[in-house]
Amino acid sequence: MTLPASIISALQGPRALPLRAVEQVMDVERLGAMHQSRLSFMRSLMRRIMRECWQIKIDKLALDQQGYGTVIYRIQTPNRVYSLVIFSEYLADEDRNDRVIASKWDLTMALVDGEIDDDYLQMLQRNVPRQEAGRVDARVFVLSRANRSMRNFDYIVDKLAGGEQPDIAKLSAVGYLYRTTAVYGSGKLGMADWEKVSSCFVDFNRPFSAEMFVCLMLRNFSLLQVEHIAKNKSVDSFRPMKTEIKRFIGIGNSTGLGMAPYLINHPLLINRWIEMRELALARIRVLGAIDTKVQQQLYVLLERAKQYTEQTVTEDEGQTANNKDLLEDLTALEKNIRKGLHDWDSLLVWSERHCSLQGQEMLVSLMLELYPELVDDLENYLVVDEMMDLDPLMPLKKVQQIIQKRYGWALSYDFSSPQALQYFWYRSQEKMEPRLGQASFEPGEDRQMPLGIAWEVRKCFDLVTSHLQSDPQQSTGHFVLVQPQLRGILRRGQSMNKSSYGDIQVNLLDENVLPMHLLRCKLAFFGVGKFDPKSKLWVRNTMFQGAPLLEEIGLPFNDDWFMPLAPSDGQAKEAS
Amino acid sequence: MHISMIELKAALRRCFEASGYFVGNYEDAAEMIVWLEKHGLQGLAEFTSMLPYLCQDQDKPLSTIVYEDSCAIVIDSHNRSSLNCIAAAVDVAYLKAQEAGIATVTVRNCHNRRFVLKAITDCGRRGVSVAAYWQNGKNKVTEYTASIKAGHRYPSYSEALTDLNYCDQQQQSLTIICSARVDLQPSLKKITAVGEIQSISAEQIAEKKQHSVEQGIEIATQLWDNINRIGEGVLVESTDQSRRGAG
Repeated sequence: MTLPASIISALQGPRALPLRAVEQVMDVERLGAMHQSRLSFMRSLMRRIMRECWQIKIDKLALDQQGYGTVIYRIQTPNRVYSLVIFSEYLADEDRNDRVIASKWDLTMALVDGEIDDDYLQMLQRNVPRQEAGRVDARVFVLSRANRSMRNFDYIVDKLAGGEQPDIAKLSAVGYLYRTTAVYGSGKLGMADWEKVSSCFVDFNRPFSAEMFVCLMLRNFSLLQVEHIAKNKSVDSFRPMKTEIKRFIGIGNSTGLGMAPYLINHPLLINRWIEMRELALARIRVLGAIDTKVQQQLYVLLERAKQYTEQTVTEDEGQTANNKDLLEDLTALEKNIRKGLHDWDSLLVWSERHCSLQGQEMLVSLMLELYPELVDDLENYLVVDEMMDLDPLMPLKKVQQIIQKRYGWALSYDFSSPQALQYFWYRSQEKMEPRLGQASFEPGEDRQMPLGIAWEVRKCFDLVTSHLQSDPQQSTGHFVLVQPQLRGILRRGQSMNKSSYGDIQVNLLDENVLPMHLLRCKLAFFGVGKFDPKSKLWVRNTMFQGAPLLEEIGLPFNDDWFMPLAPSDGQAKEAS
Repeated sequence: MHISMIELKAALRRCFEASGYFVGNYEDAAEMIVWLEKHGLQGLAEFTSMLPYLCQDQDKPLSTIVYEDSCAIVIDSHNRSSLNCIAAAVDVAYLKAQEAGIATVTVRNCHNRRFVLKAITDCGRRGVSVAAYWQNGKNKVTEYTASIKAGHRYPSYSEALTDLNYCDQQQQSLTIICSARVDLQPSLKKITAVGEIQSISAEQIAEKKQHSVEQGIEIATQLWDNINRIGEGVLVESTDQSRRGAG
């Protein structure tokens, strides 16, 4: 996507807005401290659905008393009709597995273009429940599966069947009924390519919009299904779930290592997401007027962020420490703001001196929340043409300079030390699952994925420097002809040099690598919350908690479901 | 069977990676095949013909420059597939055209030259016009030409069976003319053609693309299995230890 002149001039040139520095923003630890924001994909999708009043109705409801069967939702947007098909099947507890290598799930789903006839439904029935083992066609553009939350599902069914509401404290610990374990789009398993989705299905032409939509629909189906089962269990005593509680139920998600290669393999796209978020911040720093109303709103958001963080449950020591730091930061921020808030720059500088990275990035998300008029239009520019062309004309001397200037962080690693090359990333024979291996004793280093960008840059820099000694006038085109093994990294360096933020600054092969930072960064762009790391390699989180319900489409919507809080007992009792 | 373009691209990347292609080259090779297939130019058929020789490329010498002046270069690709060398040759053509206005690149000992279509399309997109010409066949010589105008998105392509005599020098040779100043539009001569000249216009190529975007790609199951089987070479065996490195 070509950016309009107004955005380009705000990013570069004499009228550029004050963007935060590359080395600050692209530091992997900071990226791993990001939080959801107005620009997150879930927020963006929800705004579109609510503003355009999508009509989402059940076309087929064929569930038995236990909630097993088929459901088809019909989705009418201003542009097109789509169908979401859900297959719910019995799954024994011992077969429930969130890993990508699983082969059975409680629910499987497909998002399909158009309406569905019986023949097509049969085709889906044969293939969708098999997920990776099945095949679909280009009418399908998202395929997903989900497992029930063992801690919540039966509990909530029993409560509703008995005419009671679920305990809020219990829901705060696990805010969902189902966890998605994979959401496939963009051409996987025979589905429509992104090129088709972005050009033909314009309702989903923003990054991961269709995938997020399926998660939203799964959330709504989960609410329907528990009530269906509870009602069938005890029709006389059954009471539906209160609306406030329903709204607090989101969708769980387990995300593993697979997300990390995505960030490294799509550097232009990631740059664009970060560019737009940073541009939003820069707009606020320059144009964001501060008045009493804004200050009041900021206090409300700070308090909400505090409560939200307090309500986040995790057993992970690192995340617990992060949450504790964040709470202290939020208290300190509020105290500082009460002394007087005159401009955003000063507050940002103060936060950089006194807050953790978590706190600093939370402040950014809060600021974005205050100025929708400066932020929301940037959601239209999150897509990018990911073409990386080699510039054969570029003098090799210039390549050397680019590496020194843009990849100084990569050159700073000491690759003569085994610690800098301790890990390697590879694809396993098991479903091609991405895994992390230890170079010193695990087989497979010879088949590693080229994710060690810092190491590739170092090798390239050394060869370029040595070559320039014998031929200082050499061009990139001639150099690549005799050094074809550098084609990939040269092309990447040249292309990223044109971007505002460039590559993520991390050596993924280093002994201290924490892939969690990469997962967290992408998940924050998705818009998830309640990060709960289960190891340094995978994390549980919650999606769409606090989002409007299907039945609320067409009703007043203030787009204020950032950091949703558990309903108080009073609220839960009053609302119905 | 039906597959998507991204599935084909990913499988081909693994296939070339497992066959010893370098990072950067294996992406190019996969892109070239998918691009041809997506645009109705038989990328998979051409790939099928090179499949038996795929693993041999890694044992062949890298491309070398035989001759060079300011507006011409002759490159010997040492019987590599164009999938493994032509992008770099077209890059040099682009470079020379930018510097000299017009340039000629001759690539000798290069197979599967049809794949040059993707590389010249990239040049067109970047504002340089390119024409390519090559011959194939011993008993019956077929001529091929492809070209793109500067700033355009799609090339045109022609091929014709000829009554030309076999010429050893032309075999496995590819001539690329590249210009930053003039639009190049070669056409095959009817006088040497035996029968019809098969031509595909830029508009027809664009139409084919739209069909592939909407419907995906059809591939023979055996070829798909072969691509994936070769690609398994990049996968690492699963062990209890490796499962501990999974997320």
